[in-house]
Amino acid sequence: MNPAIETKELCYAYEDGTTALDHITLSAGRGSITGILGANGAGKSTLFLNLNGVFTPKSGQVLLDGQPVKYDRKGLAALRRRVGIVFQDPDDQLFSADVYRDVSFGGVNLGLEPEEVRRRVEEALERTGTSALRDRPTHALSYGQKKRVAIAGVLVMEPEVLILDEPTAGLDPQGVTEIMRLLVQLRDSLGMTILIATHDMDIVPLYCDYAYLLGGGRVLLEGTPDDLFANPEALRANHLRLPRIAHLMEVLRQADGLDTHGAPATIGAARREILRLLKEEEKV
Amino acid sequence: MGTDRYAYQSRLRRVSPLPKLALAAVALVVCLCCDSVWVGLVTVLVMGVLITALGGLPVTVYLHFLKVPLAFLVIGGITILIHSYPAGTTVVAALPVGERLWGFTAHDLYQAARLFCKALGAVGCMYFLSLNTPITDLTMALEKLHVPRLLVELMELIYRFIFVLAETAANIRLAQESRLGYQGFRRSVNSLGTLSSMVFLRAWRKGQSIYTALESRGYTGSLTTLAGDYTPGLWLLPLTAGVAGGQLLVFCLERMAVG
Repeated sequence: MNPAIETKELCYAYEDGTTALDHITLSAGRGSITGILGANGAGKSTLFLNLNGVFTPKSGQVLLDGQPVKYDRKGLAALRRRVGIVFQDPDDQLFSADVYRDVSFGGVNLGLEPEEVRRRVEEALERTGTSALRDRPTHALSYGQKKRVAIAGVLVMEPEVLILDEPTAGLDPQGVTEIMRLLVQLRDSLGMTILIATHDMDIVPLYCDYAYLLGGGRVLLEGTPDDLFANPEALRANHLRLPRIAHLMEVLRQADGLDTHGAPATIGAARREILRLLKEEEKV
Repeated sequence: MGTDRYAYQSRLRRVSPLPKLALAAVALVVCLCCDSVWVGLVTVLVMGVLITALGGLPVTVYLHFLKVPLAFLVIGGITILIHSYPAGTTVVAALPVGERLWGFTAHDLYQAARLFCKALGAVGCMYFLSLNTPITDLTMALEKLHVPRLLVELMELIYRFIFVLAETAANIRLAQESRLGYQGFRRSVNSLGTLSSMVFLRAWRKGQSIYTALESRGYTGSLTTLAGDYTPGLWLLPLTAGVAGGQLLVFCLERMAVG
């Protein structure tokens, strides 16, 4: 089966000639959450705008379901319908002071019948838990609420691929959990392919199925989160770090000589590992 | 802040904006055309009753909002009221200043009262509209009335980003103030200058990011959206006729009473 979205040797340069993306080859499997990790300025946002056709690559390809994207009007419209972007700052995305109207925008642009748009708006509001916000003006919403409305505004287009730029930035810990659960639910119930750019390392082992490390416009590393955490030097060289739990386990292994297997990065995995070690000790 | 907050809470919020606009506009035009003390007073009273009874706004809030333009009305009234007259004119009240009398006659008093009441009535009509209709609904109605799209879309965007930019400006101001940016006149002027240029720059950058975000949602040049469900609110139309009829009746009664 083809990956939902992939890039082959994608290059992009800004107008002033600086290279932003340098032969990026990556793919996001259908119905998975793929993390794009990288420091500020690593090229994550630029990559995303290429995936949605707002930027046109200098060379290389973006493939949707195995088919290269065409950059004519029809091709771009189709690309934007199938690949939705949620921007980092919801104030960049919410242009209307009315929640309902903002969410409906993408649906109307698809040229759907009003009834169908309304159905989708209701569904998107329902999914993102923002139904109760429809009677409030946009400027009266909290940051987290705006973020959810922004997601609803993209869901209304029923994209196959959902791209989120720093979805957890600026949210309180519960807000982070809520947004990430929403994404997991979209993946599991709709089979949506989700890409998230982040440098919030602690969410990666919990929610990402696969991850890429981006640095200086290149893919430096790829693999499951566990694969990436087995290479902490690369993360650190790119202004990132291990998740706190993985770091703890690393310290236990290196400084205290604990014989841990692999690189447990979540509380659950670390707990299993520690219990296993304790049991082994009892036996000895 | 402002009337919009109440508009969102109004019981008439879900009523289509067009009949609300019609009621406010008709009452406003009649009030202005009649140009009479009593019609003005009746208009502001009737609007108050409609806003509180239909919209569910507390009376105190309506009275509070009526106080807002009061200062303007009083100043405007006084400039109409006070004239200078040659000594010996029959005046209601006046102060002799040199050779002349500064004060007002009965006619001046009537003139000022008429202006004051007319303006108050007009304000009542506008409040009926703005306290029951969020701006976004109003722009939707303007679009239905074939006001040029570009204008309507600009209004919507400006309205939305007033709040975003106000927040930006408030944050910058706080940051400046926390570093003593507003101590003394010179420094205040300086800081204010930096603030305005920063807000301008941010607005510029914001504009670009918004364009990108709109584009990624399939923007092709028009901000067409669907409004939430409205009730048609046709029952407001007979009410509109009733209000106008009432205003005209008061006008006729006043004319007959004056003779």
